[in-house]
Amino acid sequence: MSTPALTRRTLLAGGAVLATTTLLPRPARAAGRIVAPVYPGPWEEAYRAVVLPAVKKTQDVDTVLTPLLALDQVAKVKASRSAPPFDVFLLDPGPVVVAVEDGLIEKFDPSRCKNIMHLQKSFYDDWGVSVAAQIVGIAYNPKKVERPKGWKDLFEPKYYGKVGISGFGTTFGTSSLIEISKQYGGSMTNVDPAFEQLKKWLPHVGVIAQNPVAVNTLFQQGQMDVTYTNFQTVSTLKGRGVDIEFVKPDTGPIAFYTTLHVVKNAANRDNAYKYIDTILSTEVQAALQKPPYNLLSVNKNVPLQPDMPADLVKSHAELASFVHHDWRVIAPLRAGWIERFNKEIRQ
Amino acid sequence: MPAGSSASTRRSANSEGDPPIATPRARAPREREGWLALPLALYFCLFFLAPLVLLAGISLRVTPQLEGVGLAQYARFAGDPFNWSVLWQTLLIGVKTVALTACIGIPLGLLFMETARRLQPILLFVIVLPLLTSVVVRTFAWMVILGREGLVNNALTALGVISTPLRLLHTELGLVVSLSQIEMPLMLLPLISVMSRLDPNLKDASAALGAGRWRTLFRVTLPLSLPGLLAGCLLVFASSVTAFVSQTIIGGGRMVLMPFYLWQQATTLFNWPFAATIGMVLLGAVLSVVTTLNALGRRSRALVHG
Amino acid sequence: MARQTTAGDLSYRVVLGLLSAVALLILITPVVVVIITSFTDSRSLRFPPPAYSLRWYSALFDPVQSAQIHTAAWNSLVIAVAATAISVVLGTAAALAISGRRTWWTQTLDAVFMSPLILPTLAFGLAALMFFSTLRLRLSLPLMIVGHVAVVVPFILRTTIASLSQLDRGLLDTSSSLGASGIYTFWRVTLPAIRPGILAGAFIAFMASLDNVSVSLFLAGPENDVLPIRMWGMLESQLDVRTAAVSGVLIFTTAILVVVMDRIVGLTRRIS
Repeated sequence: MSTPALTRRTLLAGGAVLATTTLLPRPARAAGRIVAPVYPGPWEEAYRAVVLPAVKKTQDVDTVLTPLLALDQVAKVKASRSAPPFDVFLLDPGPVVVAVEDGLIEKFDPSRCKNIMHLQKSFYDDWGVSVAAQIVGIAYNPKKVERPKGWKDLFEPKYYGKVGISGFGTTFGTSSLIEISKQYGGSMTNVDPAFEQLKKWLPHVGVIAQNPVAVNTLFQQGQMDVTYTNFQTVSTLKGRGVDIEFVKPDTGPIAFYTTLHVVKNAANRDNAYKYIDTILSTEVQAALQKPPYNLLSVNKNVPLQPDMPADLVKSHAELASFVHHDWRVIAPLRAGWIERFNKEIRQ
Repeated sequence: MPAGSSASTRRSANSEGDPPIATPRARAPREREGWLALPLALYFCLFFLAPLVLLAGISLRVTPQLEGVGLAQYARFAGDPFNWSVLWQTLLIGVKTVALTACIGIPLGLLFMETARRLQPILLFVIVLPLLTSVVVRTFAWMVILGREGLVNNALTALGVISTPLRLLHTELGLVVSLSQIEMPLMLLPLISVMSRLDPNLKDASAALGAGRWRTLFRVTLPLSLPGLLAGCLLVFASSVTAFVSQTIIGGGRMVLMPFYLWQQATTLFNWPFAATIGMVLLGAVLSVVTTLNALGRRSRALVHG
Repeated sequence: MARQTTAGDLSYRVVLGLLSAVALLILITPVVVVIITSFTDSRSLRFPPPAYSLRWYSALFDPVQSAQIHTAAWNSLVIAVAATAISVVLGTAAALAISGRRTWWTQTLDAVFMSPLILPTLAFGLAALMFFSTLRLRLSLPLMIVGHVAVVVPFILRTTIASLSQLDRGLLDTSSSLGASGIYTFWRVTLPAIRPGILAGAFIAFMASLDNVSVSLFLAGPENDVLPIRMWGMLESQLDVRTAAVSGVLIFTTAILVVVMDRIVGLTRRIS
């Protein structure tokens, strides 16, 4: 005979589960909604403070920000293409190549963003639009060590035990390691000299972070005093009272553009364009560029001065003279470099 | 009372809760209970075993785009000594953690047995609390303890023992010590459970026959506690081998261990077949160690119960 | 019979005393350190803290500043409650079937149901992600609950089976010989007797779900951010000292719950 008591218990339990799921926060029906990834750390702070309120005010769209590195974003969308967990991509040049090749990005329609007219034509294409420029160089703690001059200084005896490095998992990491390689005879596609130099220097390493974001916290905790990173990280940490300064390497700092894209099969495609449009607007670009965020603007109406230190970069034209890498060439090589890094640096 | 002869049970008219009359045809409760395991069994089949089978299936794909079927990924794993060293180092961390945890955990267990009854709940509370605190919290604690400006370094500097801070974070020693704290309750609980069921007369008999405390420990107490000890070792080993958060934060970037390797292949390199292979190898390795310990446990139980 | 204290006795006491003191120290220090650090005034994790204040607690409870932490905590709570509820139902039923019987299939089922405690749940998390992705399901809270149930149900099984094994079968036989149906016996005899065991297991399952990283890591998404993952992110990317405040709150709540559960169901007795 069936068991009515057990069915009752199951119903009660099932009812409890249903009841709790109805308690879940529901998106407001009135406002639109968008789920957007953002790089953890300084970027997330900047976007929460500036972009979220702006998007809500000008477009009446609620944003859910989720902290994810560029490669992690691509991985998550790859894992569920037909129902991606977010609506836009925030990517560096390397992951863009991967995402485009994999068909994860929808073709970008510039006409849907009215603020696009404030950008140079070179800042957008069929796939997405640049939203910020990043400058990569060397960061150091002025209270504990001397000012390094260039990439080669990282391996000098005076910095033994104090240098931290991260691997090829990020664009800034890859670019820095390429530049290091160039100092020792390598090139954009040949990083063997960098690996050889690393191997020689490894006994004197300070700290190695596989998770590039951990670099920030390790610096704050005093586990390392010299590292390579991007400018906005230095500004944000400085804004928080950490002793840190940025150095333009003597061979030239690296520059690249971070871009926004619309994910294929996004659930909120229209809001995605509204989100992108807001970020491109003069007000938001100006706010993001101010200290302590210091995300370099791409909008013509927002001059780089006086937010940016004059000795760093004076204008967009000067940015063009910095070192740029061709990611279509680098991207296929990166997987091999990541795996080689694993092997070379481990204890 | 309704005269009953039908095959089903009926509730009595009295709704006060008088037990209904069971008819002679009702089966004994024990025999009907078997099917109760069915819901959970179905759940496990669908949401635990099926994903693992899928994992195995993906590990048999040849390319990252999931084309082809073959053992290419396993061949790739086996062919590179780097992979074996990652596996070996991971298992070794597990072994070292078990060793340290056992060395300091067994004395604590013995201490527990000899503590006054009143104090035992307090001691148990101290042992159980870390188990129930979040693993992220405990890992964070060890960051504070082992960091360059952390507890140990500041204490040693204040005592004048060292002049420059020691590197404790991102070392294997730091990892093993922190893992042993994080996993120690898993060793202590089975141990205490078994020890508390030991016949105290055995210890007294041993002492009466003239054996010193050490002898009693190694010849009587420990062998009899072996089932609990092995259960503890098993749990500590399994947990520490797969402790992703602790290994990554405390071990640091230079320690490439199986959990991180799996994560990197799955999310940074998008190589699902290879990630699945790493997962299967990890599962297989842990399973073999566990089965061995279990077999040892059964034999020791035979020893104990004669 | 009196025995003199020999050198062996002394060395035994000293060595064991020392080692157990080390063990206790290692067990307690992290918890104490976290609590003290949560009251630090500075932005770094220096210990001992240079100054003390409640700023991180007030930052934590500020609804604007810590909105995402609150959301993550709420999600974790909902998932834990749901996963525990489902596990109690499924687990108790299975425990009734398995307990005390040593047929081949009960032993196999027992091993299978307990396996999440031993097997690397990280591999299972990856497998679950691949599974749901193959089924084209968007990651969401219900899927996370589904993943958690498999991982926490062993705890409930263990304590419930232990409780059932201590149940006097004579009571059940008496009940049925007095004419009670199986259901009645269960509801009025078995259940009250094993309820403390179920509750103890449910408590541990609840805490295990709140704390779970290995499954949540793969199944988490923007819509179902959970507390351990968020704390980890805060720790790694920002060295946000609010993590210490969250930890302080968690430790405090856990301690209270353990004491309460000990009073109600003799928790500490049951899991040893």
